[in-house]
Amino acid sequence: MNKGILERVDLLLIIVTLAVIVSGLIAIFSATYTSGTDYFTKQLIFAIAGIVMMIFISYIPPRHIAKASYILYFISLILLVLVLFFGKKISGSKSWFSIGSFGIQPSEFAKIATVLALANFLSKSEEGFRNINRIPDFLKACAIVLIPVALIMRQPDMGTSLVFVSMILPVLFWVGLSPFALFCILSPVIAVIGAFLGVNYFIGSLVLIGIILLIFKRNVFLSAGALVLNIIIGYSVDILYNKLMPYQQARIKAVFNPETDPLGSGYNVIQSKVAIGSGGLTGKGFLQGTQTQLKFIPEQWTDFIYCMIGEEFGFIGSVTILILYMIIILKLVSNANVTKNNFLSAACIGFASIILFHLVINVGMTIGIMPVIGIPLPMMSYGISSLISFLVMIGIGMSAYRYRNQY
Amino acid sequence: MDLDKKKYIIFVICLSILALFIIRLAYLQLFTSDELTKESDKNSIKTITVTPPRGIMYDRNGNILVDNKPSYTVTITPNQFDKNILEEISSVLELSADTLAMTLKNIKGTNRFNPAKVKRDVDFKVISFIAENRDRLNGVDYQVEATRFYPNNFRGSHSFGYCNEISPKQLEKQIGDYYKQGDMIGANGLESNYENHLRGVKGYKFITVDVKGREIGSLNEGRSDIAPVNGTDLILGMDRDLQELAEKLIYGKQGAIIAVDPRNGEILCFVSKPDFDLSAFSGKTDSKIFSNLLTDPQKPLFNRVIQTKYPPGSTWKMMMSLAALEAGIITTTSTISCPGSFVFGNRSFADHGAYGSINVVRALEVSANVFYYKLGLQVGIDNYHKYSKMFGFGTKTGIDIPNETSGLLPSREYFDKRYGENKWTQGLLVSLGIGQGELGVSPVQMVAYTAAIAMNGLYCQPHFVSKIKNSMNNEEEIVKYEQRRIDLPLKYYEAVKKGMYLVVNGNGTAASIKSEEIVLSGKTGTAQNSSGKNHSWFVGFAPFDDPRIAICVLGEFEGWGSSFGAPTAAALMLKYLGASVNETDPEVKSVGDNHYD
Repeated sequence: MNKGILERVDLLLIIVTLAVIVSGLIAIFSATYTSGTDYFTKQLIFAIAGIVMMIFISYIPPRHIAKASYILYFISLILLVLVLFFGKKISGSKSWFSIGSFGIQPSEFAKIATVLALANFLSKSEEGFRNINRIPDFLKACAIVLIPVALIMRQPDMGTSLVFVSMILPVLFWVGLSPFALFCILSPVIAVIGAFLGVNYFIGSLVLIGIILLIFKRNVFLSAGALVLNIIIGYSVDILYNKLMPYQQARIKAVFNPETDPLGSGYNVIQSKVAIGSGGLTGKGFLQGTQTQLKFIPEQWTDFIYCMIGEEFGFIGSVTILILYMIIILKLVSNANVTKNNFLSAACIGFASIILFHLVINVGMTIGIMPVIGIPLPMMSYGISSLISFLVMIGIGMSAYRYRNQY
Repeated sequence: MDLDKKKYIIFVICLSILALFIIRLAYLQLFTSDELTKESDKNSIKTITVTPPRGIMYDRNGNILVDNKPSYTVTITPNQFDKNILEEISSVLELSADTLAMTLKNIKGTNRFNPAKVKRDVDFKVISFIAENRDRLNGVDYQVEATRFYPNNFRGSHSFGYCNEISPKQLEKQIGDYYKQGDMIGANGLESNYENHLRGVKGYKFITVDVKGREIGSLNEGRSDIAPVNGTDLILGMDRDLQELAEKLIYGKQGAIIAVDPRNGEILCFVSKPDFDLSAFSGKTDSKIFSNLLTDPQKPLFNRVIQTKYPPGSTWKMMMSLAALEAGIITTTSTISCPGSFVFGNRSFADHGAYGSINVVRALEVSANVFYYKLGLQVGIDNYHKYSKMFGFGTKTGIDIPNETSGLLPSREYFDKRYGENKWTQGLLVSLGIGQGELGVSPVQMVAYTAAIAMNGLYCQPHFVSKIKNSMNNEEEIVKYEQRRIDLPLKYYEAVKKGMYLVVNGNGTAASIKSEEIVLSGKTGTAQNSSGKNHSWFVGFAPFDDPRIAICVLGEFEGWGSSFGAPTAAALMLKYLGASVNETDPEVKSVGDNHYD
């Protein structure tokens, strides 16, 4: 009997997810303690609703989810278009529909729909995954992800757009994209960063790309083409950058070096480093964080929630949270491996990479090793749309475990 | 590569990221924790907003009209404030404890961690009390701020305007988030109109403070600070000495004076009386003073130059003359017979004299009512409206202070609406012909119209500010205003101006103000007032051949235009043009025989 439950239910994933949600609630309670807001109550209600939803979704057989995936994808595209016209503008981005006192962010649901549509596309084949090394299929797969990205960039919401882009490589890698192609996609990123840092860095990054291309020993024209493309991309970035207004340039500079913007992002990074660092080994204790309680960091129940954990629960608390997230991510990858269902396998990798990207950017930003990009910490930051969407992802991940023997 | 292998690659990548983050956390929380704890416990970084002084206003000769002086503002940081000292602090600040408690309670969210301004312009002894007892008075502090200072012997209340603490409504409605609670914002006059220029841009100082809120030092030796940008200075067309005399001449009365340079519309002086003392608004805004001003029956806050809507009386006759000339009803030489009265329907309209057959120049000189009763009827409502509108009546002049009225210029639609279609008679036009009846004009409209006549049809938007000066680099920028030409034949303007010349220099209604030094010209007017003594109007310009000043004077309840309006306007025009003036008493000259209207 007991063994039967473990066979069907991904208990580890449930327990760890609950642990993360509870930690998040504690953090939001503390962060909003003196602010007189009702974020804690709202988050609590929607966490309970989300968990029920997660368990319900884990029971849905994969073929139903697969069948619905394209429809969900098109609905979410329509919502992303509508939000550009009817959305509410909050801190500069039109990414919300407001319903009463709640805001709904269609881009959060588009994340799930896009992963499902991509997974469905990639699994439409009799023997294993679709051959993604065929250029038409590769381009179609990319288009599935880049269409919502284009819409989200119109809002404009840079952080969320990057989340979508971040899942392309891991998923394609998982379904069999060749390492050479993988590198060809990755290398422009290196070139762009090099171009931003200066001429010497740009040349250095081009040399590095050239050497790696040689190691692959592929067709000379193909390799040379990849290199030329990188040079063009690097230069066009430079030209585009110089066409920007000074304040826009300053904003980009601040991403690479927060100290240049002490009032904006730089201020938050300095304060959040102080908050986390002052936590020490065991932290100052619940509700005792002076940095948190004195609100040196504005709205820290959203993107800067992790520094509250760091300050009040110290190194032990911070590391525990990181380990919990890693368990969720690795369990999703592991489910992707054990399931015989190609659709859910690809979907789990998509969800795992989305959670990983959120974690790396958000935590990295609060501890000062990543640029300040405003995306939430999964299931911990205050935000109803985001909370529900992550719980749905995990619910689908659980269904991959439950139905792992169904093709 | 099979999936197992890929899984391990992903595991390795994830665990490396985990390891990297743990190392970074260990560095922050275990190895540099002591320093960061010290920084967090003892030294908090605080952002101090530096409000730059508002821009200064200069007159046309570079004299300062509106200046700044330092004043002390007491602040309380709500989250540090100890409620037990509320009573003590409120008595020191001479505020009621309830008011202070309410103020502090209304500060919400993150603002509770920033100093809130609770009282402006406090005495130095209050500041020394706070400084001496700083250890005990947690959260209580002071800032040195600039407050307005008016160095001259006149008020200029309605021109300069004043600043108020920004209201919660304004805070909510503002675009962007520049203003914070406790900030001052221009509420009236030039202070309001040029708010975005005058206020400058706030700067920020980052300082480290200890637990008691005492300043320890500046962050990064001040390198991260953002310097404020001083407010932009305004250079006005106003003449300080003229303004002073104008206020003196109308002192104790109710009315308005405005003078402009007809060549460009620059306002030379601007007075609305009664007015109020701007320095009462410069720092502490005492609500008692304000409510007294609001309830005063003489309405000192009412700007009579731009907000009154009185009939212009006979000062309207130039307008009627021009309309009749342009409409082809009269020529510059044609005559109309003017017996002592005019009968229309079963009603008789009176005049103050019988003049025989006279032309338009003579009609202006003697202010013949019958002449204009007849013109009113012949010009008709449509032409009346059309030409008056060309001279800016019924519309705002666009003067650069807020709350201007567009006045009331009747039209066919207006009368149809008011009395019903075809239910009004031409009789209304008889009164309109002499500038009475349902016509409402403001002194600023009148002066712009007079200036346009003086300049043969060049209509200039009246304005205070001629140049704005960047106080950081002293660069001056000329402000552009509307100028347009009212295209009527030159001989029409010349005929009308000849009439205005004779009003003063011939046998006219203002012959008493004739000056030997400078050729003045103008027109008197009396607005009939059913509820009391008539209002006295005078419009004029000088010198006659090369106009450099155009003026409009309105004296409420002062009776004939010749009795208050004309001598006041004459004194000001002579003063501005450098002639000798008897500054003490504008009413000395006796009112001669032909003074009416």
